[in-house]
Amino acid sequence: MSMEATELQDLSDDADYAASQQQGSASMMRSDSGKRSLQSEHEDAVLIYLKDNVAIHPTQFASERISGRLKLTKQDSVLFLSWIPYKGQTSNAKLSEKDRSLYTITAVPFTEVRSIRRHTPALGWQYVIVVLSSGLAFPPLYFYNGGVREFLAMVKQHVFLARSSEDQNVFIVNDFQSPLQRTLSSLELPSSLPVASGQSVYPLDGGSSSENQRRTSSDVGNRVSSVSQSGFRKQKSHDPTRDLSIHLLEKFSLVTKFARDTTTQLFSENNGFGSIDKRWNNQPVHSYPEKLSNIAEEKHHEIRHSYSENDLLKDDEISYIDVPADPLEFDKLSLMWGKPRQPPMGHKERRNDISPSIKCRISTEYFTALLDSEGRVVESKALRERVFYGGIEHQLRREVWPFLLGYYAYDSTYAEREYLRSVKRMEYATLKQQWQSISPEQAKRFTKYRERKGLIDKDVVRTDRAFEYYEGDDNLHVNSMRDILLTYSFYNFDLGYCQGMSDYLSPILFVMEDESESFWCFVALMERLGPNFNRDQNGMHTQLFALSKLVELLDSPLHNYFKENDCLNYFFCFRWILIQFKREFEYEKTMQLWEVMWTHYLSEHFHLYVCVAVLKRCRSKIMGEQMDFDTLLKFINELSGHIDLDSTVRDAEALCIEAGENGAASIPPGTPPSLPLDDGTLYPQEDDVL
Amino acid sequence: MSYAYLFKYIIIGDTGVGKSCLLLQFTDKRFQPVHDLTIGVEFGARMITIDNKPIKLQIWDTAGQESFRSITRSYYRGAAGALLVYDITRRETFNHLASWLEDARQHANANMTIMLIGNKCDLAHRRAVSTEEGEQFAKEHGLIFMEASAKTAQNVEEAFIKTAATIYKKIQDGVFDVSNESYGIKVGYGGIPGPSGGRDGSTSQGGGCCG
Repeated sequence: MSMEATELQDLSDDADYAASQQQGSASMMRSDSGKRSLQSEHEDAVLIYLKDNVAIHPTQFASERISGRLKLTKQDSVLFLSWIPYKGQTSNAKLSEKDRSLYTITAVPFTEVRSIRRHTPALGWQYVIVVLSSGLAFPPLYFYNGGVREFLAMVKQHVFLARSSEDQNVFIVNDFQSPLQRTLSSLELPSSLPVASGQSVYPLDGGSSSENQRRTSSDVGNRVSSVSQSGFRKQKSHDPTRDLSIHLLEKFSLVTKFARDTTTQLFSENNGFGSIDKRWNNQPVHSYPEKLSNIAEEKHHEIRHSYSENDLLKDDEISYIDVPADPLEFDKLSLMWGKPRQPPMGHKERRNDISPSIKCRISTEYFTALLDSEGRVVESKALRERVFYGGIEHQLRREVWPFLLGYYAYDSTYAEREYLRSVKRMEYATLKQQWQSISPEQAKRFTKYRERKGLIDKDVVRTDRAFEYYEGDDNLHVNSMRDILLTYSFYNFDLGYCQGMSDYLSPILFVMEDESESFWCFVALMERLGPNFNRDQNGMHTQLFALSKLVELLDSPLHNYFKENDCLNYFFCFRWILIQFKREFEYEKTMQLWEVMWTHYLSEHFHLYVCVAVLKRCRSKIMGEQMDFDTLLKFINELSGHIDLDSTVRDAEALCIEAGENGAASIPPGTPPSLPLDDGTLYPQEDDVL
Repeated sequence: MSYAYLFKYIIIGDTGVGKSCLLLQFTDKRFQPVHDLTIGVEFGARMITIDNKPIKLQIWDTAGQESFRSITRSYYRGAAGALLVYDITRRETFNHLASWLEDARQHANANMTIMLIGNKCDLAHRRAVSTEEGEQFAKEHGLIFMEASAKTAQNVEEAFIKTAATIYKKIQDGVFDVSNESYGIKVGYGGIPGPSGGRDGSTSQGGGCCG
């Protein structure tokens, strides 16, 4: 099916396309088509719907929105959805072709679509979210000229579309109640679909990456669409996978050179990482095992050398290769760069012969040294770097967390923070008063409040009760937790309360020890992570999607394994991401990990690299034991309490550096914990939010 | 430990109805009132005996809050049995049964055995749903029904075992093709009557499935 390949050419020389850019044409619906390019070359693919000026909003910046064309086509009685961004439409240089192709949806068959959610707000643009049966969701598609209703009507003419009984804005595709019908419908599926679910956005060719490698050597410079014997679409001009392979070849020549020259100074600039970053953006592929292992050896020595120079650490303190030996682990060398952790910030300054209160003061003094005379953090990057590489002594967390969370501005003075605290204390009291003043008579008529309160009451006594700070009946800290959550559910009534929030609040309250301060730190955290708790789970889906892209980039064998075993929805990482590993580590370790992640030092999405690091470590077990989805889910669940934090963070750091810009480009803008896209409403939800 | 069959169960129902407590009572024979709330899914397992055959129950205990429904749906795949739980002291948890059932019907295999459990029956003084209503609902929807208490352990054992017995009977009656793991049944080592006592359903199974 070279239909997609044709589509690309279609875009560049299509007169309609040019016209539509000028005038933002209305939708065209055709039951048949005189569409030249499709019809002439593919008698069996019929264009049945076309809508221009359908856009995605990767970031909150209007300049970075990507407009494109949404199409429905039908081939062999299967309906396909595609969305192709316009070329060269924006002047914004930041939006590379790679960004565009990241979002391109190339002919997803409706047999792989589970549901379509429509959003038709009274103000603002209408959009739809398409969810695949794998559980992945595409970013919202905004209909600048309206027409969501017509779009759904057109879909409905061609596939079975049922409105969800739970949510009238969700339309379930191919949702046959009768098992017989379901069987019949599955029989109608074509034997090979052009793209696997979840793959469409970031097109992969049919072959493995090693195959890709080999082919690339002859394909370089010959960037034309081609169709392979199997009929699968192979390359197209902006296929990022292909770009990666070309990069890889370039990398290999660099690597060889790199290994020959002893270039210690490469490591010394920018902690040694910036330069590696440029040369080692990509994953070595397993078609070059011997060569790589040699390189690995040489690199290994160099790194040891540079560490001993730069970090003044004894050789034997550093464990370079933490992963178990495995024939598949040719990418071991990628896991060697995670810098050893330092003692927590504030730790070095401690002496053992002084009392705890003095220790605390000295920790604080260490932090104070990073501030100017009026209390501004002189160099926020230095602070974040220090925390990233070693965490914070517990006594000092109370000072530093509000900065990391964004409650305090780094350039605020002591006086300004003092003022902020007092203002915020009053504001908190006012917010709290909102629900505290609800009389029993009013509560009777306020179901949503009663339900939320009931849920929060139930959940706070089920949060970290084994932890001393929260144990026992009538625990005051548990009461504070309840008050904060209930107040938050009024402060952010649209989002409300969702399970998992108490897991975030618990350590914050434990650290801050003050209700108002904890509340505002929690608010700051939810500014970024609130989407995790959105009712449509969009924030979670976006992160799981980004994770799948990162694994694809950083561990293609594992990615291929997940793909073959129908595990690409990454639901087995759900808990990791929802509450940022809170249930996977003991309490103190969780706080360490959080403060490292909250620095956003290497990436806002460091937590996703942590996911990749853990998965990578377990890869040989997962693949060796041929785990299916159920087994994998259970296995991942049972890793809880058995993950070594330090080495995992180091691996994650190494992976993050290794992925470099390609990693960042794999994560759609706006993916939590990036600040949410600004579309007017922070939590657009329609109804029935508890 | 060897088993003749492994059955996958899923426990579903509104948040706070006592799903995790039922599981803990069944697997560990204890009641822990301050169990941390479930995020995603938790697992439990226990061996039981039916018709003198060792059967392993692998139980998936799910998060109940509405927001997590889309994730929970992915857990239905390949479940042989479901315990659908409500709290007899909270009417709304009973009112939501229909929507849970609809999820189960949509995302689980059609032959999944569903046991309806009215939990917390030790709190009779706060009862908001009568036993008759529970029975009626079960009857209308073709479910097995029991009231139980995770706290006193009343009917907990029975609920899990009766569900297993029903599934076992379905196997005997040839309702399932046990070689197809999407029914939530795995055939284990040992305990299987038949010429080869086969595993993975590659050989004929007791009860003569599929015909």
